[in-house]
Amino acid sequence: MNLTPDSKVLIYGFSEFITATHVNQMKAYGTNLVAGVNPGCGGQQLYNLPIFDLVEEVVGKFGAIDTAIICVNPYEVLDAALETMASKINQIIIISGGVPPLDMVKLLRKTEATETLIVGPNSPGIIVPGKILLGTQPRELYTPGGVGIVSRSSTLTYEVAWELTKAGLGQSISVSIGSDTIVGSSFLQWLQILDEDETTEAIVLVGQPGGDSEEAAARYIAEAIDKPVVAYIAGRHATTAKNWRQSGTLATVIGRKPNFGTAQSKLTAFKKAKVPVADRPSAIPELLKLPA
Amino acid sequence: MDLLEYQVKEWLRIIGIPVLPCQRIDHPTDLKRLTIRYPIVLKSQVYGGERAKAGGVRFVETTIDAIATAQMMFNLPIWGELPEVLLAESKYIPEQEFYLAVVLDTAVCRPVLLGCTEADIDWESPGAKMQHVVVEQEFSPFYARRLALNMGLQGRLMQSVSCIVEKMYQLFVQKDLDLLEINPLGVSASGEVMALNGKVSINERAIGRHPELGEIAVKIANRHSRNSSNGKLRNDDELKLQGKIGILGNGTGSIMATLDLVTNAGGKPGSCLNLRHAFLADVVPTTFCHRLRKGLKILAADKSIQVILLNLIGSIPQTEEVAEIISNFAQHEKSRINSATIKPSSKSLTESHCPRLVVRIVGSEFNVTQNILATLNSQTDALTVLENLDEAVAVAVRLSKVITRNCKVNSNEKLI
Repeated sequence: MNLTPDSKVLIYGFSEFITATHVNQMKAYGTNLVAGVNPGCGGQQLYNLPIFDLVEEVVGKFGAIDTAIICVNPYEVLDAALETMASKINQIIIISGGVPPLDMVKLLRKTEATETLIVGPNSPGIIVPGKILLGTQPRELYTPGGVGIVSRSSTLTYEVAWELTKAGLGQSISVSIGSDTIVGSSFLQWLQILDEDETTEAIVLVGQPGGDSEEAAARYIAEAIDKPVVAYIAGRHATTAKNWRQSGTLATVIGRKPNFGTAQSKLTAFKKAKVPVADRPSAIPELLKLPA
Repeated sequence: MDLLEYQVKEWLRIIGIPVLPCQRIDHPTDLKRLTIRYPIVLKSQVYGGERAKAGGVRFVETTIDAIATAQMMFNLPIWGELPEVLLAESKYIPEQEFYLAVVLDTAVCRPVLLGCTEADIDWESPGAKMQHVVVEQEFSPFYARRLALNMGLQGRLMQSVSCIVEKMYQLFVQKDLDLLEINPLGVSASGEVMALNGKVSINERAIGRHPELGEIAVKIANRHSRNSSNGKLRNDDELKLQGKIGILGNGTGSIMATLDLVTNAGGKPGSCLNLRHAFLADVVPTTFCHRLRKGLKILAADKSIQVILLNLIGSIPQTEEVAEIISNFAQHEKSRINSATIKPSSKSLTESHCPRLVVRIVGSEFNVTQNILATLNSQTDALTVLENLDEAVAVAVRLSKVITRNCKVNSNEKLI
């Protein structure tokens, strides 16, 4: 993952979830935004960015691009990502939410084969406080420091960052892997990145019901992570309807426990891995017990 | 979103999966124009499972018999749900019954093929009888053959079953499904296969690119608002609870966190709405402000809700409009509260429903909103604006308790 401030970045698509404020925020943060792609608008300027019709035109003009931020209509995400990959861009952040899951299945089959890193969909992206902003994370809630945040949510990530900032605990990297049911990069990949990152002294993992990525993360933390980790799971009191997506029949059919996907299952997993779990966002700072 | 059997069978027929000759019956007299031969089976078109046990499946031999039975079935609720349509279908006695399904498994991020040579599955412990194949890469028919072989099938039957699975997969991808199930797949003595019943769950996120599904979704949504027990429209962005505190937010995660905090503080969360995405029944694109206005309206119309807790964090487009919507809502509620208190005899607080609004707002883009609202904050008790989430939750819970107490006092006074 190239998160250096001079890495070249393009924005593909300008839907509702990316506004002038977001683009200006990124620029003000020093993110090296070189161009935008918006089919049919080639040659125009948008938010002071030169706009192109195709990704390959951007590469032709500015050379290799490190990261693409995709913000097209959810039904166009697959196509935009495939086009981006065709131009050898191997870091893709998908801001758009509600991408049809079967489109994601198609995309992941391709990215897994080419080692392309996909963050999202339905992710506000990545922020390295004080250094680079890739996406729509609200920079004013962050302050540079030593706590890494990895989360599936958008707003809850900001909530946690804000609590840390208020408590005087700055952040090293904050990433949301996205809250759609099928997403690219996993908790495990990011735990590994945060574990290797020199500025990161401790990690906060923010989870929610659905799937088993928190459980996998808990096992991985117990086995491989030396830095202190604190978890927070939202949705303990949210009674989700049992459906094939989260629990119920499919789970038992292919040998999973009946409580698969529930907040309870995740809490149990963290307890087993001896990872302290905060019962509210404002309780996270004291569990981190970092010298302020 | 689920489909009814007759809709599923139409899809199966079009994709080339054998189904029995059948006819949709909207009214008992439709049976006079029946084009299929007796004996037939009449099936109640409802969403609930195991309808045969509730009398939703009947065999009939003659037209007179069929009309009388249909009349009765149109008035027989199946697990609380009245059918709007019956399906008349040729009678068929299979030699064997199988279970087949294609389902999207979000844990492995791939579709999974499922198959079993028994149709009556004990879902609590299907054990080793249920076979599954993960479609790792681009689908190719060998995945279907692998499933059929794992099921223990051989020769021609193996091929005809895998052929069905292949077509099921085509349909699954074509219509963006979460689940496609054939249960049972009838197998005759001569090895012919026939889809006897089927189930489809459509992924709501893809409805927008299938106009024909959009129409069905709108119909279900309308039906849902008429009779909540009939609805089968699953909505990720809506959580229906019965408590007094309605929650609105601009992301699932923070809504869930808010819900937990309210519960921990001794409050009872009511309906929760996520304003980040368009609502399911919205067929045209919406803006955040549109959804905020609609969300407030939905919660205000819910009689059980006494406090609306709006939690906004981060950045939102159209900040000034957000402030305007919130202040309009609060002003409106304020005037309703005032008119209710001026004329306590005609309309007590219990009758005129006016939820209080607690707004938690943080993020630099919201400064504009905050400033506008700050002036209102001091003017009206219908609105409280705070930056700290824990405090906002505490205020909402306290308000919900005070209002409940006042309502009790009011209704007691009325009794006296």
